[in-house]
Amino acid sequence: MMNKTLACIALTLLLPIHAALADVADERKSPLGYGSKGYVWGTISLEQAEVMKLVPDARRGEEAFRGCRGCHKRDAAGVMDGTYPRLTGQHASVVIKQVTEVRSGLRINPKMDPFASDHAVTPQEIADIANYLSTLETTRENGKGPDNLSVRGKALYLRNRCGICHGDNGEGNADKFYPVVAAQHYGYLLREMVHIKKGTRGNSHPRMVKAIGKFSHADLEAVADYLSRLPDYRRVLAKGK
Amino acid sequence: MSRMHPSTRWLRRHAAVTVLGLTLLALPPLVHAQDIPPLSERLQLCASCHAMDGNSVIPENPKISGMDAGYLERQMADFKSGVRKSPVMSGIIPLVDGKEFAALAGHFSAQKPGKGVAADPRLVAEGKAIFDEGIVGSAVPACSGCHNEDGSGTEKYPRVAGQHTAYVVQQMLNFKSGERANDSRALMRAVAKRMNEKEIRAVAEYVATLSGSE
Repeated sequence: MMNKTLACIALTLLLPIHAALADVADERKSPLGYGSKGYVWGTISLEQAEVMKLVPDARRGEEAFRGCRGCHKRDAAGVMDGTYPRLTGQHASVVIKQVTEVRSGLRINPKMDPFASDHAVTPQEIADIANYLSTLETTRENGKGPDNLSVRGKALYLRNRCGICHGDNGEGNADKFYPVVAAQHYGYLLREMVHIKKGTRGNSHPRMVKAIGKFSHADLEAVADYLSRLPDYRRVLAKGK
Repeated sequence: MSRMHPSTRWLRRHAAVTVLGLTLLALPPLVHAQDIPPLSERLQLCASCHAMDGNSVIPENPKISGMDAGYLERQMADFKSGVRKSPVMSGIIPLVDGKEFAALAGHFSAQKPGKGVAADPRLVAEGKAIFDEGIVGSAVPACSGCHNEDGSGTEKYPRVAGQHTAYVVQQMLNFKSGERANDSRALMRAVAKRMNEKEIRAVAEYVATLSGSE
């Protein structure tokens, strides 16, 4: 009993310190998200539905992107080390889903939190930004893994049929809200996969958690490296036509 | 004496109080809608700290020239409601009626911003790096994202170009501590909390050197 009380006091004292450390780390589990009772992936929130109904305008989106470019950079190519993902060519449906879910707290992302708020971006601006980003070309080199592991990464990607959702060229699926993963920064791909595997990314797809559940960290590194070395999917698809 | 009307007698006995009362009535301690002074007169009040053209020369008092009128109005309203605290403005703002805010904001917004100068030029380079690129390791976004590369700002994010270093440092520290909390959705508080005092000072020095002509 005494020990329990002491542990409680110790925890209470430690909490603020932990909270301060976790301030910009996205490792806290969302109470609404994956692993909680009643969580269903892909439930479209009222706001997400509202944003998807709006008529987007890419030119307005470029202006509204102002509040995002402090991190994702003026060209939306993010940061090479993967601290911030590149957003160029991402499906509009995916950007809308992710921004509205960061906003609702389903995906906990303290770095992004205030910048995803309704002061930074209105529902119309989310629609406009998403449209703008989907049309952007990738202009800068993205971050790759430290070693070329693409042979092993490709084998894992194929064997585990990741392409069913994310496509053979890492192009994702706009209709189903599956993100483009090709040519993304290695650091970002790896970090998100680690979060998904641990169950700490609040809006994880249960199938994805299951698919990479048996992956070792080295496997995750290999897949992240493979995807980071894929070319822009739009170039690949244009060639195939 | 005994024939005097009771009220006259009271007035005589309390002559000092009466004089003070009449003096107070003559002063404008709390403004009523019907006696709002002309703008030119009211500007004198602001000019004593911010200068007539809004280019304050006192480092602790912000330059308000060329700032977005909506931003200036919001700040005055927040000082009046107490949402934004300032030992100086809290004494001044009760003298100004809310109906005057728009004209005052319009005046200062239309003034030509003066040039600023770094108080410690050695910090400018570090400040520029933070302003343009942010601090990736501690998730500090580039200031230029919202405030523009030249610090000219927008309707949503105020002009910072040419601002006094001392004022910017103080505001950033106030955001960091939470003492200033009138930023929508705690945006600036989130940014300031991720910065240390040295980084804040460096950015403030760089901001002072910007001309904001975008």
